[in-house]
Amino acid sequence: MTDDRSTPLQKILTYATLSVVLALVLIPYGYAIVTAFKPPYEVYEVSWWPSEISFGAWRDVFAINHFHLYLWNSLIAGLGSAVLAVAIALPGAYIFARKEFPFREPFFYIIVGTLVFPFILLIVPITIVWIRIGLFDTFLGLWLAFQIFAVPYSMWILRGYFARLPRHLEEAAQVYGCTQFQAFWRVMLPMAKPVIVSVLFLAFLQGWSDFLFSNMLTTGDGPRTAAVAIYTSTAGGERVEWGPLMVMTLLAGIPPVVLYMFAQKHLARTFAGAGH
Amino acid sequence: MKANGTGLRVNHLRKTFRGGSVVACEDVNLEIDDGELLVMLGPSGCGKTTTLRCIAGLEHPDNDDAVWIHGHNMTRIPPKDRNLAFVFQETAMFPNLSVRRNISFGLDMRKQVARTDIDRRVEDAARMLRIEDLLDRRPHELSGGQGQRVALGRAIVTEPSAFLLDEPLAALDAALRVEMRTEIKLIQRKLDCTMLFVTHDQEEALTIGDKIAVMHEGVVQQVDTPHNVYHRPANLFVGTFIGLPPINRFACELQRNGAGLELGAAHFTLPLATEQAARLERSPARRLTLGVRPELMEIGPDGAIPGTVRLVEMMGSRTLVLVETESEDIRVLVQGEPAVREGERVGLTPDLTRAFYFDERGQNLLT
Repeated sequence: MTDDRSTPLQKILTYATLSVVLALVLIPYGYAIVTAFKPPYEVYEVSWWPSEISFGAWRDVFAINHFHLYLWNSLIAGLGSAVLAVAIALPGAYIFARKEFPFREPFFYIIVGTLVFPFILLIVPITIVWIRIGLFDTFLGLWLAFQIFAVPYSMWILRGYFARLPRHLEEAAQVYGCTQFQAFWRVMLPMAKPVIVSVLFLAFLQGWSDFLFSNMLTTGDGPRTAAVAIYTSTAGGERVEWGPLMVMTLLAGIPPVVLYMFAQKHLARTFAGAGH
Repeated sequence: MKANGTGLRVNHLRKTFRGGSVVACEDVNLEIDDGELLVMLGPSGCGKTTTLRCIAGLEHPDNDDAVWIHGHNMTRIPPKDRNLAFVFQETAMFPNLSVRRNISFGLDMRKQVARTDIDRRVEDAARMLRIEDLLDRRPHELSGGQGQRVALGRAIVTEPSAFLLDEPLAALDAALRVEMRTEIKLIQRKLDCTMLFVTHDQEEALTIGDKIAVMHEGVVQQVDTPHNVYHRPANLFVGTFIGLPPINRFACELQRNGAGLELGAAHFTLPLATEQAARLERSPARRLTLGVRPELMEIGPDGAIPGTVRLVEMMGSRTLVLVETESEDIRVLVQGEPAVREGERVGLTPDLTRAFYFDERGQNLLT
């Protein structure tokens, strides 16, 4: 531990800045939580403590808005996106990391380079194509749309990781009885667990919280996700009910946070177990 | 090729990288008998590791008939079907498996050996290597030396045609290296197995090998016993590479004077004894490189080559004396303590009966 050589003034400034930043981040969340439990007549009052804890907003969200359905859709969208991203990016990243073939590097950077492209510009063309090929308003359509971002990003992370893994482990596996695929499956994959977890998490997050594609590619009768449902409940901003809105926001926002905490624990454990 | 189809043979192995622009192995030829421990020795980049990896199947040679194992052309067969064992410099233990599972990996993959048999083989190997109490640990809990023991265990249980070891001791500390070197040799003797050992450490090579293959720039320079490689180097490279402290080299010309032949160098002349003179006379060479090992240089108040003592270094039971002469610095290895001090003027006399004479192409003229 290095000594803290800050002067008292520097310390005060540091903590003051941190407090401001923390406040900026936490106060809206805090207020949303508080508002979610306020009885309807109190919602428009700016108060930090409800006169009574009311679950009215919560009831409405499920009974009137049927939010549980949309949460379920978000879950499916997220899971499918995560599984597909790993299924596509994992073998791809391995090939780009280990196999030699002509134009490998330019090819790889073209794939990763697509991340630079603004996704908003893609919504209209994708929607048109999806309608034409029958993917509109389907989960498969959503999953594939999410791969546009998820696959390049996942491949980028995974290839970097695979390239840095020493070759002699796979080679040892090959000498002692594995084909190249078996060596990948039994040796590389277990070692890549932490990275795979982060890729799964990111791809899931994409599916769960995406608004852009989910809004355009689904209708009310199809797999509309929670993010879109929140938007439509306000009828485009015309009719905002703050209580239920806060509840829906919390319900949509908390699972990723919980997931992140689990993923973090696993990541930390995996790195600790690796030792050196 | 051995008529009875035994042993390991490397046949004109050529391996290039980057479409031919980098030549790792130029033309490597080796024959290893069953039960032999051959050491491949050479400086970095000489092709020894690449040759070993080609034998294992981890690299693909340029030619199709480069690797023969027990009479079969295995050049294009995948590594898993060659029945060889490989020990890497970096241990290469699988981090997600226990030590026991690491050792039994090869047998588990084969699925032909019964479980009880596998367990027995693992226990036997662990006992031989003295790692029985480590069997249920994980690789990250082991030290470097223990790790290499596990790697050896993994190799032993598969009962391969040959063991291939790629500088397995290079990452260990000096004392451990010496200890494991002996252990490996004893294991090889006990199992009576064929072993190919790659190293750049000549001391290691000279102690461990039945035979040494000295390699340089992708070509095998000499395959011989440690004794011959040291005392009868085939060429200038082998003579210079083998031997610590390094050999003393002098550029000379064969001259005739009244009495017989002599060697004329820039700043001294040495008369040749009759035996050497007779043999050298027959060769057409006129310009030679004379190689004299430091321990074959006599140092005294007078001698054929005059010089001044620059440094006296103690090396255990022997002393290294660095003598500055008109043309070069000469290293002399003396038993015990020398009778000279730094700054003293001395004379050096090489033992020409045991010196090496290399022609202009570097070939040893007297072997």
